[in-house]
Amino acid sequence: MIKSALQKIYLGFILLLLYAPILTLIALSFNSSKTRSKWGGFSGKWYVALFQNEDIMNALYTTLIIALLSALVATLIGTAAAIGIQALNAKFRTVMMGITNIPMLNADIVTGISLMLLFIACRVFFPQFSLGFTTVLLAHITFNIPYVILSVTPKLKQTNKYTYEAALDLGASPIYAFFKVVLPDIFPGICSGFLLAFTMSLDDFVITHFTTGAGVHTLSTKIYSEVRKGIKPEMYALSTLLFVSVLFLLILVNTAPQENTKKPKKAPSKLKRATTIVFRRVVPAAMILVIVAGGFFYSAQNRSSAADQVIVYNWGEYIDPEVLDMFEEETGITVVYEEFETNESMFPKVQAGAVSYDLVCPSDYMIQRMIENNLLAEINFDNIPNLKYIGEQYLKQSQGFDPENKYSVPYCWGTVGILYNKTMVDEPVDSWSILWNEKYADQILMQNSVRDAFGIALKYCGYSLNSKDLDELQEAKELLMKQKTLVQAYVVDQVRDKMISNEAAIGVIYSGEAIYTQSENPDLEYVIPKEGSNVWIDSWVIPKNAQNKENAEAFINFLCRPDIAKMNFDYITYSTPNTSARELIDDDAIRNSTIAFPDASELERCETFNYLGTKFDNIYNELWREIKSK
Amino acid sequence: MKNKKKLLTGPYLFWAVAFIIIPIVMIFYYGLTDDNYQVTLMNLAEITTPENLKALGLSLLLSFISTVICLILAYPLAMILSQKNTNQSSFIVLIFILPMWMNFLLRTLAWQTLLEKNGVINGVLSFLHLPTLDIINTPYAIVLGMVYNFLPFMVLPIFNVLAKIDKDVINAARDLGANNIQVFTKIILPLSVPGVISGITMVFVPALTTFVISDILGGSKILLIGNVIEQEFTQSFNWHAGSGLSLVLMIFIVISMALISKYDKDGEGTAF
Repeated sequence: MIKSALQKIYLGFILLLLYAPILTLIALSFNSSKTRSKWGGFSGKWYVALFQNEDIMNALYTTLIIALLSALVATLIGTAAAIGIQALNAKFRTVMMGITNIPMLNADIVTGISLMLLFIACRVFFPQFSLGFTTVLLAHITFNIPYVILSVTPKLKQTNKYTYEAALDLGASPIYAFFKVVLPDIFPGICSGFLLAFTMSLDDFVITHFTTGAGVHTLSTKIYSEVRKGIKPEMYALSTLLFVSVLFLLILVNTAPQENTKKPKKAPSKLKRATTIVFRRVVPAAMILVIVAGGFFYSAQNRSSAADQVIVYNWGEYIDPEVLDMFEEETGITVVYEEFETNESMFPKVQAGAVSYDLVCPSDYMIQRMIENNLLAEINFDNIPNLKYIGEQYLKQSQGFDPENKYSVPYCWGTVGILYNKTMVDEPVDSWSILWNEKYADQILMQNSVRDAFGIALKYCGYSLNSKDLDELQEAKELLMKQKTLVQAYVVDQVRDKMISNEAAIGVIYSGEAIYTQSENPDLEYVIPKEGSNVWIDSWVIPKNAQNKENAEAFINFLCRPDIAKMNFDYITYSTPNTSARELIDDDAIRNSTIAFPDASELERCETFNYLGTKFDNIYNELWREIKSK
Repeated sequence: MKNKKKLLTGPYLFWAVAFIIIPIVMIFYYGLTDDNYQVTLMNLAEITTPENLKALGLSLLLSFISTVICLILAYPLAMILSQKNTNQSSFIVLIFILPMWMNFLLRTLAWQTLLEKNGVINGVLSFLHLPTLDIINTPYAIVLGMVYNFLPFMVLPIFNVLAKIDKDVINAARDLGANNIQVFTKIILPLSVPGVISGITMVFVPALTTFVISDILGGSKILLIGNVIEQEFTQSFNWHAGSGLSLVLMIFIVISMALISKYDKDGEGTAF
């Protein structure tokens, strides 16, 4: 009695552990507030928004189609292989099972990388071949086959081979005998193999991450790109729907009237058999049909001809989605939109050329690096008459990295500073020193990017943030190491959500984010420290291998139009270099905000990043890794 | 007759060579050459830098701890489950696969919401006037994430071997006078070894190589070997060093495969 109670408690504990996050996600899907960390009341609006969100529905469609196709192909190949392997002699069987174990045991990251290396090598022979849907599908089939083989093999071992031989003796053809004798026996194994493969494909992130290309997102990669800037609540709604429908299916299948196989065969009543069929076959089939049809419907709606397109590679959450729609409507050019998190993660992708982007939006020092590496095409400014709206001073500032203004058109600019919570910080904040104040241990959010982190430490010591002096760098490293014990987390865009929800008192943030966070949490204040800081420009550039250069120029021109630039400013709140757009801003307070448009005197203390060359890049990276692994 | 059946291995053999063997050869190629395509062992030696050694050591430690916790949690659970009647137990097994239908990243992120300073768990704790739990952005949170994500991979293989144990064997032992402890140590435990070994490798290897869990729950403060490799490929763009480090990781995978083929010859302990 006690034992069974204990067992129940234990089972309950494990289930709580397994399902606590899932309950959290379901709760979040009804949270009317946009940030993960604040409960804003009960609301079903995300479920409505979900079906209007083309990005997510597209990702869902891609995920389901890849899961379905890869599971189907893997089931076919895997089942055949399982049967074949049984017929091999012992030595070959061991070898084959060993190979089968490789993708199961190999680290996801190694499998993903090895496949990526293979696909990129294929480009040597087939230049047209590009990472995308096909490569993801091939990769998924590869890691799915072993699951099928391992599900089918045990069932095959249980089958009685004499029945098969008897069937042959009685005149059945091998194929007929297989379908009549062997297949029914191993069918449950095939089914569970298929289901497993489907589930694994659905849940995979790492392998997809390494094998996917521009514009192809599964739910996993979509979510990963959103982790940094905060997950869209529609995603919670979608997962809840998926989860609930699968749970519903499971309960249906398991509570459906069971056929009594053990009792002597009484013909089951017609009604009972009918309900069994309905529960076990029709309902699940109907649900799958709805899901797949829905996917096709969405894809048909959204995939117009790929002939006239422009592939844009931009920072996360760095454009008003409405602008993309307007551009497509006005020009008939389809925008394939892709996002990156840091300059450093963008650069190798463009350099590798696995995807030929038409338009990229890197920061100043990275543009310099791209120019030096001969990756950029000169822009034809005849196609960009709207350049006249861009302020003269920003073009001048651009000459620091693009001396003749040949390669870049400014898009956004801003400063790096400290965002602090007035209720949690007592003393006035005007210096970087607050980031080393032990009073705020575990209350500090630091930038998770090499140049930004070192820039802060170097400025704090009074050096240039483009320092190439090893002693200065060593000093900065020591400082950052000392700081690490005080840092709560190294973040990129999550600093936004964390500051809004009072998770931390002080954070390093880009000026553009500061305006948004203030509107969500009025206790927050932004300051450019007196030691000086970084002033940066993000500009549009066109890579050399762009396939649609003219479309890219049309897109830049569109973005330079004052009304469009103003729409973008309202949405992303990063300072615009478009002087005419600034005049269009309705709110006086924002038009004259010192955060968005700081005084020239404040900017004097600030510096722009320069590209330091491969050697110093490696030194910075090396030092940064030492800090991170401390 | 058998010859014809063997042909069915054909498509798989082709697939395996193209997408399993060749990619691994590619990793060897990149891992053992430098930028100028000269053969070198420098990339393998990357592992001996203090930072990388530390990352590897920490990864080994955290994944070892996670594996032990998974084993301790999973074994009793598998025993409880294997005693249920078959219909019920297949349902319960599905309960363990079901969470996978919610995306792995979202599930891990949900732990962030639960564990944060102002998170759900601390909300409940402070409501009950209990001390708050402060483990987010620490190795403890990473271990929790690993245990959470990989527990099913430990439960399922152990459950499978336990469910296959012939009840008559246990009854016979009891008839011969064995007590509960003896039945467990002499019968159940030895018979479940294939499942345990398979479970250990299926938890240990992914835990050793993860970069996502440490990223999300460790606040990017804790560098595991998976993070190092991921950064070599996606940020430093040093494929050679990344491949070299992957080769080092493969040593652990080879050890796992050797263990499996030693203890689990018939593939009984497979998870599914």
